[in-house]
Amino acid sequence: MNIRGLFGKDKQDQPVIVVSGLPRSGTSMVMRMLDAGGVQIFTDSVRRADEDNPRGYFELERVKNLEKQPDKGWLKDARGKAIKVVSPLLPELPSENTYLLLFINRNLHEVIASQNKMLARRGEKVDPASDERMRGLFEKHLGKTKTWLKGNAHFKVLELVYSQVVADPVGEARRIRQFLERELDVSKMAGAVEEPLYRNRAKVETNS
Amino acid sequence: MFGAKIRIERTLLEKVKRYSKIAGYSSVEEFVTHALEKEVAKLEDAASEEEIKERLKGLGYIS
Repeated sequence: MNIRGLFGKDKQDQPVIVVSGLPRSGTSMVMRMLDAGGVQIFTDSVRRADEDNPRGYFELERVKNLEKQPDKGWLKDARGKAIKVVSPLLPELPSENTYLLLFINRNLHEVIASQNKMLARRGEKVDPASDERMRGLFEKHLGKTKTWLKGNAHFKVLELVYSQVVADPVGEARRIRQFLERELDVSKMAGAVEEPLYRNRAKVETNS
Repeated sequence: MFGAKIRIERTLLEKVKRYSKIAGYSSVEEFVTHALEKEVAKLEDAASEEEIKERLKGLGYIS
């Protein structure tokens, strides 16, 4: 059975498209691809573009405190649209919706280096000595999250790798279109990937 | 095995002895060690998630 059959055809029954991963994994890039391809983005545009994300964040402030919300019924309004949710908040998404999840993976050295720069720019304390420890925590978190996703039938997951999307935007845009089973403009999606924005590169490229 | 001694109530000890046998542990020590390891791992896990969330708060992704 295809996704439409599994998740229903009516707008009300449509899955929420969720873009997730650790912050600085390329979630904004994938949101930008979806936007360019023709998917309606569920955002309030409160968080403005800045040096860390020159093309914008595509975020929704309401998502940021999902943990504290007893009523998450407003997420029904995101059905058929794309919303960005960082991976530690995925378990907070209510099972009354179904979700097509695009999970972005990126080399953890790159993720941490990029996060450190962002933390410094925000005036937060950065301790490079804790990078290795953080990498271990992220690895464990990602493993746990993916195991949790497998056990939750209301999520259907497509994993993407940041460096692969940058290297082959057309191919990866096709994969996304196929997964979402939507009429998306692949060439516009691919055009939204800007290789120069891949600034924090690890010396040795791995997919961890 | 050498290690610290821990005091537990007699009634709990009786239960531990009974159920460690039923559950197939070779000794009370093995059962207690396993139970404590499981509990500590759970707490460590929660602490790790909390640390990640704190970092994400600093980055502005969680409020």
